[in-house]
Amino acid sequence: MTILQARGVVRSYGQTPALRGVSLDVHEGEILAVTGPSGCGKSTLLHCLAGIMRPQEGEIHYRGQRIDTGSESVRSKLRRTEFGVLFQFGQLVMELTAAENVALPLLLAGTGRREARTAALTWLDRVGVADVADNRPGQMSGGQQQRCALARALVTEPRVLFADEPTGALDTLTGEQVLGQLVRVTHEQRTTVVLVTHEPRVAGYADRELTMRDGVLDETEAGIAVPSGRHGR
Amino acid sequence: MKATTAVRLALAGTRADAVRVVLTACSAALATFALLAALTVLAIRTPPDTGSRFAPWSEQYGSALLREPGLRPGVAIALILLMVPVLALAGQCTRLGAPARDRRLAAIRLAGATPRQTTAIALAETGLAAVTGTAVAFVGYLVAHEVLHRPGPDGTLALPTDVLPSVPVLVAAGLGLPLLAMLAAVVVLRRVTISPFGLVRRQGRNRAPWPWPGILIVLGVLLFGAFGPLQRAEFKLPDWIGRIPGWLVVIPLFGGAFLASIGVVLGAGWISYTTGRLLRRFARRPAPLLAGSRLMADPWAGSRNLAALLACVLFAAGAAGVRSWFTTQEAAQAEANRLAAGPGPSDIGPGDSFHLQTMDLVNLAVLVALVIAAGGLVVAIVEGIVTSRRTYAALVATGVPRPVLGRAILWQSLAPAVPAILLAVTVGVLLPRSLQSEARTGGSSWEVCDASQALCEDPVTRAQYTRIVEEPAIIRSIPVPFDELALAVGVGLAAVLATVAIGLVFLRSSTDLEELRVG
Amino acid sequence: MSASFVLLGLLSSGPKHGYELKRAYDRSLPNAKPLAFGQVYSTIGRLERDGLVERAGQDRDGGPDRVTYELTELGRQTLDEWLGTVEPPAPYVSSVLLAKVVVALLTAEPERAGSYLADQRAAHTTRLRELTRSKHDPTANIGDVITADFTIAHLDADLRWLRTTLDRVAELHQETQP
Repeated sequence: MTILQARGVVRSYGQTPALRGVSLDVHEGEILAVTGPSGCGKSTLLHCLAGIMRPQEGEIHYRGQRIDTGSESVRSKLRRTEFGVLFQFGQLVMELTAAENVALPLLLAGTGRREARTAALTWLDRVGVADVADNRPGQMSGGQQQRCALARALVTEPRVLFADEPTGALDTLTGEQVLGQLVRVTHEQRTTVVLVTHEPRVAGYADRELTMRDGVLDETEAGIAVPSGRHGR
Repeated sequence: MKATTAVRLALAGTRADAVRVVLTACSAALATFALLAALTVLAIRTPPDTGSRFAPWSEQYGSALLREPGLRPGVAIALILLMVPVLALAGQCTRLGAPARDRRLAAIRLAGATPRQTTAIALAETGLAAVTGTAVAFVGYLVAHEVLHRPGPDGTLALPTDVLPSVPVLVAAGLGLPLLAMLAAVVVLRRVTISPFGLVRRQGRNRAPWPWPGILIVLGVLLFGAFGPLQRAEFKLPDWIGRIPGWLVVIPLFGGAFLASIGVVLGAGWISYTTGRLLRRFARRPAPLLAGSRLMADPWAGSRNLAALLACVLFAAGAAGVRSWFTTQEAAQAEANRLAAGPGPSDIGPGDSFHLQTMDLVNLAVLVALVIAAGGLVVAIVEGIVTSRRTYAALVATGVPRPVLGRAILWQSLAPAVPAILLAVTVGVLLPRSLQSEARTGGSSWEVCDASQALCEDPVTRAQYTRIVEEPAIIRSIPVPFDELALAVGVGLAAVLATVAIGLVFLRSSTDLEELRVG
Repeated sequence: MSASFVLLGLLSSGPKHGYELKRAYDRSLPNAKPLAFGQVYSTIGRLERDGLVERAGQDRDGGPDRVTYELTELGRQTLDEWLGTVEPPAPYVSSVLLAKVVVALLTAEPERAGSYLADQRAAHTTRLRELTRSKHDPTANIGDVITADFTIAHLDADLRWLRTTLDRVAELHQETQP
């Protein structure tokens, strides 16, 4: 079943086109990798799909509902309740502790402080960094920060997780551990994942891979899919 | 989002944020205190009319400024005007640690906060600081009100400690100031809260400033000049004095001065940009070229940083103009008295030397304001250097000598400041001159009845005993007080130079190559 | 031959007989080419001949003869030396994949080469995914993970190279046929 659908999405920065008409379907429960060289527009595509950015042309539908025309408030609510985002780095609030960072989306949604903290600690434990719950990001390693960011992206139990080069700033082993957690946890939650990366090794965690070139999907290799579905299924 | 969450997120900042909160609270306290003082002066009750030609004085005070009903609005306005540099300082302080705060807000936005929620978080900070400052000022005011309520040896009060503004007025002041501060914060933050990706992608630069603030200056001067006719109308209808609230009459005066000041401050943006362009075109040395580029890149920085200073210089020049007017008026009066060789009209008041004393007080206020404004400028310059420390460190790393950077900062501060201060002085001296360019006295005539009261009151006999007395008119043009204007310019430039000197102290630590490693 | 050194390495933890050696070999290198029984015995024979291993005893409870082997002092030294010798980094490139791509580019038209490369990429990606999956299987032991890592690293390198080559072919195509 299709959870997220893009049709003819166009987006440019000034005179520079980043997306030149992209159409794709994201199936519920899959891990979809979008790969391609740097500057091919894959991050812009992710930002458009996640409602962070509005496309200039085309439509984006989430569960049958058009989302690219919504106001910023509507889209931030969507991001907060239905989507989770994970970036390369720099998304944690440096002034808050790990637990506070993870609790943040819940607090913003109006959850009580105690309840939010309990949920945050549970999630930090699930991604294996419960021991640094009261450290600030500056006192954590890169891998711990990314796990904390992963916990924050998942604490609202989103249906879709958007990950943009989630291990780009990590060494191979740490990156692998973070990705392993990501795959395991999203599988348990039955979360759909859109994973943007330029590394084949990282794309290896996906069920399906789409390649982008110069702002369009590479049709010649569209949908290199493995029929067996997700890990452990 | 719960209110406690907003407060927690608002107070999550680092040391720079803490300093900002404290300074905001201090500015709010100062501004509240000035406002409360002004309200107290306005709350002084005028004793019931005794039927004399003049509104009765409040004799319980030692100072004529408080005794005379006609002077009190002026005192109140002077006190309120003292708030201007304080508020400008507060505005300057909001930029302290702003990049880190913007990053934090953007990160919170990424976590799913709506634009409204981010604004609420920023407002919680400003609001808390302002409420704290206002509360402190209220307590200080009430304590001072009690402690200073000591009649002097002659039984008079130095300050109006026997009255308090009415409760609704106090409530309005206590709520109004924090609200004003929060409103200002919303305006300052509107750019940040738009995009959760403010830190990643920034849309194109805003276009170069235009010299349209010149229109504001002209409008301001014209409006200020309109006070003249209004004032004369007021004297023709003496009944109004008691009834028209003072503040209503001075709206054109206050509004005109305000418009002209805003015009000068906004005009500084255009001046910054233009000097930057000129420097880029004609300068040959690296320091002025660097300064020119930086001025063109952010022309509004100059306007922001110099705002309070320019307002002070403008008021200093205005005060110099008014003083020159008073001095000339006094000389003309003396001349008239000499010519009339008799007692002049007795309603001249306590003498113009009193007005000159008042002007001394105004000068003192301007000086205090200037010191506060210079403080704000120091904050701005240091903040500017610390914010771009990576750029500076990178320049030093590529071999740019530190003295060149120092000279560039000097150019960057002085090049727009000189023309902007000259403009402020010109506008400042133009304001009083738009009211009055010459002092005149006499020129009036009146009937004198040289007989007994009975004869004079009888319309038949009256005509025989009356004669018309004419007073010779004395007209003196008011000179432009060049020496005082030069002093205003000098003090203004000295303030800029001093702040640059303080800023350069920070340049050394900010260009440590270690800074290149700081995230 | 590396198989003999693997056997030496397995024996370094204590004496084992042939069947145990075969099982231990397959367990430590699960994704390597499996070692046939015959190969185990011939290799052991060679090692015994060279004096690197010796018979430690026999047990015959319930079955055929089981000869237990153990490392000799010389064997231990040889293993040590081998572990200490640096392998020459890629002394020569011998890969069917490379040869095929070069030949495809030389003989076939660029579209053909491109589609071959894309197919090859798909096959590599599929294998990469399988290995990634097996690596994160909870039952995988350290040997599985390390072997999978080794293959993944090579597939990753191949895939990067294929990507670059695809881009190069496309660029070449654009230049020759504007």
